[in-house]
Amino acid sequence: MYNFSVRYHDGRLSIAHDATLTLMPDHWLIHYRDPSGELTSVRWALPGIVTDENFSNLFIFRYGEFPQQTIECKDGIMPETLKKRYPEKVFFRKRITDIFKLNNTTIVGVALAVLMLMGLGYWFGLPWLAGAVASRFPVSTEVKMGDTMYENMMHAYEIDQRLTAATNDFAKAIDFKTHYPIRITVVKDKEVNAFALPGGRIVVFDGIIRKMKTKEELAALLAHEVSHVHYRHSLRNIFRSLGGYLFLSLLLNDINGIVTVLADNSNMLANLTYSRELETEADTKGMAALAGNGISLKGFVDLFTLLRGEHGDVGSLKLLSTHPLTEDRLRAAEVMVERQKGVRDDRELEGEWEVIQDMSNK
Amino acid sequence: MEQHETRQLTFHGEGAKLFGIYIVNILLTLVTFGLYYPWARAALLKYMYEESEFEGSRFTFHGTGKEMFKGFIKAIGIFLVLYGILFGGMATQNATFMMLGLAIFYIGLLLLIPIAIHGALRYRASRSSWRGIHFGYRGDRKELLNTFIIGAIITLVTFGIYGAWLVIELRKYIFKNLRFGNITFSYEGEGGAFFWLNIKGYFLTLLTLGIYSFWWVKDLFAYYVNNIRMYQGETRLAFRSTATAGGYFKLLIVNVLIVVLSLGLATPWAIVRTMQFVFSNIHIDGPLDVDAIVQTEADYTDATGEDLADMIDIGIV
Ligand SMILES: [Zn+2]
Repeated sequence: MYNFSVRYHDGRLSIAHDATLTLMPDHWLIHYRDPSGELTSVRWALPGIVTDENFSNLFIFRYGEFPQQTIECKDGIMPETLKKRYPEKVFFRKRITDIFKLNNTTIVGVALAVLMLMGLGYWFGLPWLAGAVASRFPVSTEVKMGDTMYENMMHAYEIDQRLTAATNDFAKAIDFKTHYPIRITVVKDKEVNAFALPGGRIVVFDGIIRKMKTKEELAALLAHEVSHVHYRHSLRNIFRSLGGYLFLSLLLNDINGIVTVLADNSNMLANLTYSRELETEADTKGMAALAGNGISLKGFVDLFTLLRGEHGDVGSLKLLSTHPLTEDRLRAAEVMVERQKGVRDDRELEGEWEVIQDMSNK
Repeated sequence: MEQHETRQLTFHGEGAKLFGIYIVNILLTLVTFGLYYPWARAALLKYMYEESEFEGSRFTFHGTGKEMFKGFIKAIGIFLVLYGILFGGMATQNATFMMLGLAIFYIGLLLLIPIAIHGALRYRASRSSWRGIHFGYRGDRKELLNTFIIGAIITLVTFGIYGAWLVIELRKYIFKNLRFGNITFSYEGEGGAFFWLNIKGYFLTLLTLGIYSFWWVKDLFAYYVNNIRMYQGETRLAFRSTATAGGYFKLLIVNVLIVVLSLGLATPWAIVRTMQFVFSNIHIDGPLDVDAIVQTEADYTDATGEDLADMIDIGIV
């Protein structure tokens, strides 16, 4: 019962010997007839025997220094017998890859379960992780990063210096309650669009300013963008897409993809769409900031109405895709307007607004 | 004399098993933030080797995750330094430094290719065995580096034309230094023939709106395989490809369908089909004495080249 038929390789020559393995108490004995017909036996001391890790049911054992001798055995009862014969030595360690020895249906079942888990991780775990990483990111680095993105992006736009100065003056009259250095740039572009970069840079297209009728609308737009900055929405987005990229390249077993993403142009990342949650957060926090300044929240309602009128409905347009506008957001703003108390008429802000209007209507 | 003697490799891998390995690998790589990757690769290679059979015996990959992890860390270090230089140069916003950073980065990347090929061949060959006999690669890194650099410069100067000769030169060098026990190899291809093969393939593919590409691929595969020679003492053995354009067409179309329709999930099945196609279309002709191969090669455990090659995406064998 302690005999197995095996194939033996001596590690010096490629000949395969059909041999008999006998499990002795403290060693293995292998005997075979060599090509000349002579009976040969080999002794393997127990401590030197190593089991090859493998995925099939062919059991392979090796012995000695390089080049090693090898035994191959196809007998399915071998692991059981070894356990019984040598209770103190572990020949087959439990490994995660042992599931590959199960039948194929089980493997596919396990695999599908794992895939579902990964899907959950992708949709729920990743945003959470991105937020956690983003909140630990140093502000100074964030500002530098945003500035670099800004430099790169500005090649594509023509800056309106006078409107930029006037809009910055306008913003200074409002306390946004943020420690980020808010720097606004107005660029000449007919599109109704605006976006925020990490670290405090906000880019406003003059197309949207020309469409505005009241100072509250501009205040609402700025408050919304400042909230994107203050709550680090772009960073969260960047980490999310980076994480997603990492995830997918691992899925495709493609390590160079991870290396490439590091070299990837960061411009692309800055223009990513914010999720609905982040937009709602930017609205809520932006409204809170304006309310703190006693500015009427009607600006938000007017701004959203302007956007909707501009684009007809929730369509394929730029501002909508960078800041998806939903009916919910408009309605939420209307509710906030009704609740708002303590609206003051800010003379200084009105003055700054008139300057902007004069410039933009020319 | 038995001149008609021929032998083949067979691949026994199963899509479902490979799929399982991929899934476990991906999962563990994810939860360990990528650190498991070397073990994942070792498991995959072990499986692929184990399912490859020649003359009734399976191949073995002896590499371990631990060895490959050390190589992985070194390879990542090398890449970090290169990217550090690139980004450092970019961050200065100074044209000279930017150019310098870019130049060092690309030259470094270029130099890494032969270094990676050399290291990967040494490691992979040494960790591969059949019936206990190990493969080996005896090439010299400096020699390969020189061939590669000179070749790359000439290729650049000749607008890529010399590339065909360089590829053949590299193949010749690699096969000349490949060992399987006391069995040696050689590659008999010629740059000129290889060049015209590519020119012909390129233009006919253009003219036939891509249809000829299957014949082109077939020709390239045949040119690779048919020029490999294997020597056991005085005996010379030749490799022969039996792949046809039709066979390639079928392989490719079905694989594309498998991958696309399953949204990529069934890729392992496509890999298994490809392996079976490749193995079933290579014949080794000649009187090989499979019992008389003598162990000759030494042990080698540095996996840095293997990992580097993996990152630059150089496929070896
Ligand atoms: Zn927004």
